[in-house]
Amino acid sequence: MTTTAGLRFAASVVANRVLYGQTWQMLLDAPGPVRAGRPGQFVMLRCADARSCDPLLPRALSIAGYERPAGRARLRLLYDVVGRGTAWMTERTAGDAVEVTGPLGHAVRLRPGTRHLLLVAGGIGIAPFPWMAALAAERGVSVTVIHGARTAEELLPPGELHPEVELVTATEDGSAGVQGRVTDALPDYLDWADEIVACGPVPMFRAMAGLVRRSGYRRPVHLLMEEIMACGTGICYSCAVETRRGVRLVCKDGPVFELRELF
Amino acid sequence: MDAPDLSVELAPRHKQGLRLRNPVMVASGTFSNGLEFARHHDVQSLGAIVSKGTTLLPRRGNPQRRTTETPGGMLNSIGFQNIGVERLVRDICPIWATWDVPVVVNILGDTVAEYARLAARLDAVPGVAGFEVNISCPNLDVGGIEFGVDPAAAASATRAVREHTSLPVVVKLTPNVTEIALIARAVAEAGADALCVANTIMGTAIDIEQRRPVLNRPFGGLSGPAVRPIILRMVWQVCAAVDIPVVASGGIMTWQDAVEYLLAGATAVQVGTATFVDPDAPWKVRDGIAGYLERHGEPSVTAIIGTARTFRRD
Ligand SMILES: Cc1cc2nc3c(=O)[nH]c(=O)nc-3n(C[C@H](O)[C@H](O)[C@H](O)COP(=O)(O)OP(=O)(O)OC[C@H]3O[C@@H](n4cnc5c(N)ncnc54)[C@H](O)[C@@H]3O)c2cc1C
Ligand SMILES: Cc1cc2nc3c(=O)[nH]c(=O)nc-3n(C[C@H](O)[C@H](O)[C@H](O)COP(=O)(O)O)c2cc1C
Ligand code: FES
Repeated sequence: MTTTAGLRFAASVVANRVLYGQTWQMLLDAPGPVRAGRPGQFVMLRCADARSCDPLLPRALSIAGYERPAGRARLRLLYDVVGRGTAWMTERTAGDAVEVTGPLGHAVRLRPGTRHLLLVAGGIGIAPFPWMAALAAERGVSVTVIHGARTAEELLPPGELHPEVELVTATEDGSAGVQGRVTDALPDYLDWADEIVACGPVPMFRAMAGLVRRSGYRRPVHLLMEEIMACGTGICYSCAVETRRGVRLVCKDGPVFELRELF
Repeated sequence: MDAPDLSVELAPRHKQGLRLRNPVMVASGTFSNGLEFARHHDVQSLGAIVSKGTTLLPRRGNPQRRTTETPGGMLNSIGFQNIGVERLVRDICPIWATWDVPVVVNILGDTVAEYARLAARLDAVPGVAGFEVNISCPNLDVGGIEFGVDPAAAASATRAVREHTSLPVVVKLTPNVTEIALIARAVAEAGADALCVANTIMGTAIDIEQRRPVLNRPFGGLSGPAVRPIILRMVWQVCAAVDIPVVASGGIMTWQDAVEYLLAGATAVQVGTATFVDPDAPWKVRDGIAGYLERHGEPSVTAIIGTARTFRRD
């Protein structure tokens, strides 16, 4: 016996393709425990051949949901190619083996009373939201997703969302939706939203914090934070963030944090 | 044949000793204080757990960026974020005390007096099986030069701990020296029960677009497989210089790497960065060592320690 209940699993690639723009989707056939993830949680994916030590560290990726074509749930990941690890991912094809650790971190806990849920995503921050939105919509919650990107082709295609979920878009070059950033589309929804979840770069969170403060919005705003990780399991202290209650680890104490604790 | 005996003794000269049920430890700063993994792994089946580096007062650690990947390794500049000795004693040691695995507390001080106080504070605390003295940190008594680079300073930190505890004392050497055997001898003479070879190798990485170091400080500590040949050489040298047990720490990813260290003379090994890559790594290393012993018909780990040292030159 190696461990009591390991976290790390051998998975195999079922499909791997560009979903839209530069964003890829990988589907993994993975054993049971990895399939127990909840929205907001993430996995660490080792991005190197089995015996290779380069690149060494696994990469953090949000759980973008599970597809269940024939009863067998497949782990879905959405990713942008930014460096060696994610470039390695694009070279995987159906049948290739990969190593996954997870599910890791805390899931987003929505208030049971929430009727109107607003999800705000910058760029690849959209990854966990189609799934989160669908789960909420299935429970009868009315959901709006605001997705911001540089240009139209980097926007999530509306068909990727549950049919009852509204998609609002913003592009910096004005090629689709609101011209500008997500924070330019956000004010129209503040009165409506009972609860907000945001995922994207830190400057987006900062801008949101300013907006929330100025508007006097008092309901919960959860953030899905990113920080440079090595382990993803709370043992290396790489992913520290300053909160009002002291230093916290994104992988272990997060990745979900309350906006007001951070900004 | 019976299963091979994996147990090793890290402090043979100490009256209680420090007996490990197998030679695989987890390295300081790469396993937090063990509580995270206790939720999903059988941490009590490890040889020993080494705590996160602990200081007298809590430390927030360094701002981002704290780590960066390098070829076959990583640099870290965590800045010794830790909860401080008082919270360790109050919140963590009572949990360790219920575990059937030795937990060795990694301590570091800014002055010799701080090492003494840390040792005294933790000496009789249930759950603490021994000390690992981290001397890879600046000595404020003498203007911030690392304790571990100077034989006299290294010896005085060792003595300070030795005089304030009756528990076994492992001293963790820095590899950032010209002749590690000199430091090893000084520390052994100052009363160390065992040595750990070694801490991280100082290195750096530069962001060529921003034209600044990638990390929050110019230098960080290099760990991972990239350091293994260097640390293996140092383990060999230290084993030749002292007659107390040596614990190897540097780039162990697999059981084969661990066996190399044992054959070079190490009595036990520490798995560090590998646990970031594969959370099961320490257990796989342990199982792999057992398999190696069985295949080679060896009765015990101790039967192979240092056996590569007596090779015949052709
Ligand atoms: C909790 C969490 C969830 C994430 N979810 C997704 C997702 O669903 N889809 C997606 O495309 N990206 C996601 N990211 C970012 C993703 O981890 C990085 O894009 C990826 O690690 C880059 O690896 P690379 O080798 O391609 O890039 P490189 O720049 O070559 O990576 C070098 C090193 O830096 C680390 N690193 C670089 N960028 C980041 C980052 N933003 N966050 C953490 N570590 C980083 C890498 O892990 C690696 O150790 C997430 C990050 C976190 C922390
Ligand atoms: C993120 C990180 C934090 C570390 N923190 C400590 C520490 O607090 N005290 C210490 O003595 N060594 C510390 N080390 C060094 C390790 O214990 C180990 O000696 C070193 O990483 C080499 O082993 P490895 O290549 O197996 O990781 C740290 C290493 C890493 C990577
Ligand atoms: S990534 Fe290691 S503690 Fe968070």
